[in-house]
Amino acid sequence: MFLFFSLSEFWRTFLTSFIGVLTLVGIMTRPFRWTEAHIAMSGAGALLVLGLIRPTDAALTLLRDWNTFLFFLGMMGISAMAESSGLFDWLALHAARLAHRSAKRLFLNVFLLGTAITMIFSNDGTALILTPVVYVLVTKLRLPVLPYMFACTFIADTSSFLLPISNPLNIIVMSHYPLSLPTYLRLLFVPCVVVIAINYGIFFLLYRAQLKGTFQLERLPSADASVKHRAYFRYTLWMLALVAPSYVIASAFQFPLSAVAIVGAALLVAGALYWKRTTLQEAAKGISWSIFGFIAGMFIVVRAIEDTGLTVKFGNLLLRLSHGTSFGAVMVGTFGSAIGTNLINNVPMAVVMSSSLGSVQHAAPAIRNGFVAATIFGCDLGPNLTTVGSLATILWLLILRQRDVEVSGLDYFKVGVVVTPLMLFVGALVIWLLL
Amino acid sequence: MRVMGCLDGTNAELIGYAVQMFTTSAPLTVALLAVIDEGPRKDLDRMRERFWRPPIHRKPVSKEIETAESASAEETLKAALAYAKGAETLVRQGRPELEIVNAAAEWKADVIVIGAHAEYGEPPRVGPHSVGHVARFVLDHAPCPVLLVRPLAREQFPINR
Repeated sequence: MFLFFSLSEFWRTFLTSFIGVLTLVGIMTRPFRWTEAHIAMSGAGALLVLGLIRPTDAALTLLRDWNTFLFFLGMMGISAMAESSGLFDWLALHAARLAHRSAKRLFLNVFLLGTAITMIFSNDGTALILTPVVYVLVTKLRLPVLPYMFACTFIADTSSFLLPISNPLNIIVMSHYPLSLPTYLRLLFVPCVVVIAINYGIFFLLYRAQLKGTFQLERLPSADASVKHRAYFRYTLWMLALVAPSYVIASAFQFPLSAVAIVGAALLVAGALYWKRTTLQEAAKGISWSIFGFIAGMFIVVRAIEDTGLTVKFGNLLLRLSHGTSFGAVMVGTFGSAIGTNLINNVPMAVVMSSSLGSVQHAAPAIRNGFVAATIFGCDLGPNLTTVGSLATILWLLILRQRDVEVSGLDYFKVGVVVTPLMLFVGALVIWLLL
Repeated sequence: MRVMGCLDGTNAELIGYAVQMFTTSAPLTVALLAVIDEGPRKDLDRMRERFWRPPIHRKPVSKEIETAESASAEETLKAALAYAKGAETLVRQGRPELEIVNAAAEWKADVIVIGAHAEYGEPPRVGPHSVGHVARFVLDHAPCPVLLVRPLAREQFPINR
């Protein structure tokens, strides 16, 4: 509507940022049982109706980020299909078998398995599919549940910057600021390995007393029993053996990763249809469609804020805070993103940062790469501070606790608050050294 | 006398022996309680919420979780029944600390027998934090006397401080 009226610059900025803040607060608090997709879309809708963003600009923003949308789709498809083939159960059972009855070894194996799954399926695969599988496994083995659950939930974030595909956020940031594969590996893979080692080391120290025991392997079914259909299972393994290196090759040639993910998912669905393991409706159920509404809404809201020049100001502020040094760039980028993801959640933060880093584009390469790598690092690892849920959830849990009730979610926070700052600092230091 | 022993999956023997201490107080009724902790499931749901997904009970893995949890509770009770023959068995689901005190009130327990904390192969420990949060809550909120059971750790004594 305001499109047809002239509105002073101040009021445009004010209204846009007001709607932007309202959207973010809405996503954090979810009033009236609205889903995050409803809230993000409402924010975007309000901006469009009020004429604070032109429909063509909104459409162009979404089209520019096609890679992100398709990657989410392909990634969720691959995970859902692999889950339905029984692959995750099969892997977890093998991890248990290779542990030779030692609780300690199983703990290490869960860490390694989580790392491998995150690397190929992205952090969704570990957090959402592996964690419940491991929970069932350790319940059957009558081992302490908490250390293994912690291992899964933390490693999902800790190893999510090994490769560009290990976390969809990496794709969001890198669609705007591409890093060549060698640069990516140097600035993110290497620090990731260091951070994983720290994560494992601290967890092992924390839980060493609970991991002293042994378990009886006989309590578990054989790994083959988890395979629901042999031919389809073997086909899935082959397809994944193709998809994983294709991701790496695609990253090396800056070929869109979403194409690999989509083709991989399509091949897996085709196999499942061929062996009658799924129907199209069932396959579609494995995908969380509301995520697309959520991301689309976020992209439009942030684009409108970008047009007011606010994100550029934020980017300049980050640049100033870094004092023009690469060390400052890495530290400000890392801790800025990490704090941001805990305040407004990681997807919105990655979108905001992608929009803000525009002002860094023309800085010296070390500073530019430092900021980009640190943003990916901070957005990916930051959520470990409040692994289960956002900061808002944790605050709510803290309030509950004051009423003299012990709350399980808080255990994650207690560990996260100790481990995460250390991992962030050491990881950032490694990024800076390798710049 | 009505005695309720609380099992945590690692302390069948300890609780069993402790319950036997009451055998002189006839007539004796013993109940063994195993609580299926809903905490991990809540954590899984919170995790799913972070990744913008619906709760886990809509997924097939939810059935497997349920089966594994009840099988574990059954097994826990069976192990303890070897030490307390003829005891009643109670299975509840929820937050262990709340379920224990509520079950004790409902079952009209005269005494609750509870372990200090779950032991997974580590040597018994004494000192601060050696009473876990479940036992601590039960000590604070029990509707009846509580017998806190812990493994023998005489070799760690005397305490010099």
